[in-house]
Amino acid sequence: MSLAVQVVFTGLSAGGVYGLVAIGYSLLYRLTGIVYFALGDLIGLGAFVTLLVAAGTQPLTQETVSGGRMALAILAGIAVCVTVGAGGYFAVVQPYIGRSAIGWVAATLALGFAIHAVLDAAFSRPAYVFPDPIPFRRVGNDGLVTILGAQIHVRAFAVIGVAVVVAAVSSWVLQRTWFGRSLRAIADDADGAAVVGISVERTRALAFGLAGAIAALAVVVAAPSAPFETGSGTLLGLKGLVAAVLVRFGGLWSAFAAGLALGVVEAALGTGLLGHASGLAAYRELIPLLVAIVLLAFRPLRAREVVE
Amino acid sequence: MSAQATAVRTGTAVREAVATARQSWTDSATAAGVAVGLAVIAPFVLGGLIANDSLASGAYLALAATGLGLCVGLAGVPSLAQGAFVGTGAFVAAHVLRDTQLPAELCALIGAIAAAGLGTAAGFAVRSLDSVRVAVGTWLLTWLVALALGALPWLSGGAQGLVVPTRRLFGLNPTPLVHYELGVVLTGLCALGLVALRRGPFGLDLAAASQHRGAAAALGVPMERLRVAAFAASAFVGGLAGGLAVQLDIVADPTAYGPLLSFELLVAVLVGGAAAAFGPSVGVIVLGLISLAARALGALAGVSASRFQPMLEALLLLAVLTTGGYAFVPAAIRAARRFRPAPPRASRRTAAAAPPSRRETLRAHDLAKHFGAVSAVDGVSLELQPRTVTALVGPNGSGKTTVLRLLSGALPPDDGAIYLGRQELTSLTTAERVRAGLVRTLQSRPFFGELSVFEHALVGTNRTRRYGGTVRTLVSTPLFRAENRIAEAHAFAALETVGLAREADRPASELTGSGRERLMIAAALATNPAVLLVDEPSAGAAPEDLELLKAIFTRLKTDGLAILLVEHNLAFVRAVADQVLALELGRVASREPNPRL
Repeated sequence: MSLAVQVVFTGLSAGGVYGLVAIGYSLLYRLTGIVYFALGDLIGLGAFVTLLVAAGTQPLTQETVSGGRMALAILAGIAVCVTVGAGGYFAVVQPYIGRSAIGWVAATLALGFAIHAVLDAAFSRPAYVFPDPIPFRRVGNDGLVTILGAQIHVRAFAVIGVAVVVAAVSSWVLQRTWFGRSLRAIADDADGAAVVGISVERTRALAFGLAGAIAALAVVVAAPSAPFETGSGTLLGLKGLVAAVLVRFGGLWSAFAAGLALGVVEAALGTGLLGHASGLAAYRELIPLLVAIVLLAFRPLRAREVVE
Repeated sequence: MSAQATAVRTGTAVREAVATARQSWTDSATAAGVAVGLAVIAPFVLGGLIANDSLASGAYLALAATGLGLCVGLAGVPSLAQGAFVGTGAFVAAHVLRDTQLPAELCALIGAIAAAGLGTAAGFAVRSLDSVRVAVGTWLLTWLVALALGALPWLSGGAQGLVVPTRRLFGLNPTPLVHYELGVVLTGLCALGLVALRRGPFGLDLAAASQHRGAAAALGVPMERLRVAAFAASAFVGGLAGGLAVQLDIVADPTAYGPLLSFELLVAVLVGGAAAAFGPSVGVIVLGLISLAARALGALAGVSASRFQPMLEALLLLAVLTTGGYAFVPAAIRAARRFRPAPPRASRRTAAAAPPSRRETLRAHDLAKHFGAVSAVDGVSLELQPRTVTALVGPNGSGKTTVLRLLSGALPPDDGAIYLGRQELTSLTTAERVRAGLVRTLQSRPFFGELSVFEHALVGTNRTRRYGGTVRTLVSTPLFRAENRIAEAHAFAALETVGLAREADRPASELTGSGRERLMIAAALATNPAVLLVDEPSAGAAPEDLELLKAIFTRLKTDGLAILLVEHNLAFVRAVADQVLALELGRVASREPNPRL
């Protein structure tokens, strides 16, 4: 029982971040018909800019960062995420929409690898400890609480909470605001949206910026729980993509739910909840990936299908 | 047969082959020969400037990239899994080397076969997918292999990798120099194979399918099979490169075959030029120069060079992409052409012999198709006889195009049966129906953007070929060459029928709308059909084009074809049709001989 509780909370807190990344992939796919391969590295960029502003590239202890500086750092990370994401739209996506797929595939991958390389050059140590935006260590027993016999990090609740709130706000924006209605109009019919006076390019560019930023926000909350590497963003991008593929780049909440589910499945495989801990743990990342490939091959994507 | 007669025949065949080779020898072939020659002597000239093992790694990278060129350049498929195939080849070869006493070459070959197996599976999974899903699927596959190598020590030997025993290669001591020369020779062979395939039926079909899936499918191009073959072949070459490279490195490193390798190979192909056979190799040379630049930058900044290399590669790729995809090799060819234009091709069509015509009646009984609750076609029967033009008319939404799609095999009917002569077609695929003698043109006037007018017609003739297989194409057998001449004559005859013979060498993109309509009719005719289904040929045609079309259909009719026209222009229908079927809400409302006749 305690193991199950442990798995659920660890899984949900990892899955919350995957879910936000999956929302990004789905939204951008529906807007443009492309898969933004640079999304994971964009998120990594947001996280590392936050680290840079909060603590520089030097080793730090978690107590060295003041609340004000941390808030500034998070704002800076989000601002860079939005700017690079939106700029990336104009540089590597917009020129190739509606043309040969090799163009956008190669260009978005190139942007991702370029961002990753910049991070590698600037942050040369193998892994970094992130400062804590919220001092969880003071809650409970050094940041741990016991629920049904399981020791849970208080941070897990915060990450899940932030992820759900961000998803809810995104959903509200999508449903209730002018910006969200424009996005949905473009997703349905870009030419039609342009005719009724929506500035298609600017709206899309902003969406490309925000898609990375919302996930980066959750990453910053989640990152202090483990060492963060320059490749961590890339890997998050992969997990988000797997989740998005599982729901065929579907709606916001289904993408989020797929991310949560992926997190829980990984945690269950990894901790041996399904029996044979040592045997299955090595496969915890491989099995969902394989399932996603098989599903991709045998189910059609929503909308934007080629019909002849 | 006496030995002497065999010798004489072999001699004739060799002489013919030499003559064909001489005819098709071009400046680019000379340039490629010189390039391979230079590559072979490079280690002796560069002596010490670049270490031989770096050169050898580069040669194997070029081999893997040339294999990827088959997928990206020839098939137009954005495959991101080449790194996974190279890794599969490397690790399978490493295991076989460790566990058996088999010779080194055989171990590399086993690695290549394993990679080809994975490639076949991947190709099968993505055989009918759009390019978005191909890209995502192959990207996930690359990660799957990379993560598996990282997570499964029994597979990868853990963090230290697998130490591979060294064995003699083709009887030689396996020095880096031997590996390098082997890599160059294999890359050269692979590039030659690419050139041969591109000019042959396989390459034309792949090009057509990558430029317009629907139109290629209508001409019976077996796109799915071709795609599986392209993936398998490109994985085989990648696996071979991996299986040999691992013997050069002595250690199979589980971190070396990840997404970065897949990306670098894609960069090499796109930067060098996906369409040119030696483009990927040139791309690898450019990557080598970049790594030198990265080392210099790294020394300046005091950081390891490996941190700059992907960034420079990404920037170079973006630069090449934003300048409209002017990759190195195509740009060089263009520049060279300015100084020395390509000589006009020798006229290859002296005797424009038409193929023997097939005369069969197409019968469809009680065809039905429902989309949800809507019954688009509801019990349509028709008979198309040789030497007749039947027009299918009716308001929008009456089911005309659906009938066409049911007949051509683009849609499976819910009910009913289709026969051509005595052969039942109902459950056959479009490609099988085209081979049987039933072909269709599409309404939207699609065409294969980068092919010439003549090549369009050749795509059609590929359906009539028996000796156009990949192996025959690669070694250019006498049967293959003889069939080539016949196919070219038939393609030219089809172009003459529609009045495009004089445009044969122009790119199809230069034709007018009506020209493209006639072009796709010619490509359909080149399949040597008994029955031709044409969707709205007159749409948007000027009066003089209509006269041309009328003359074409009249001629085809007298040649013995059975023709079904879906048409809105009633004046045109009256001028050419023998029989008029009117559809209304998916049923035949009237069936009358043309009042004019």
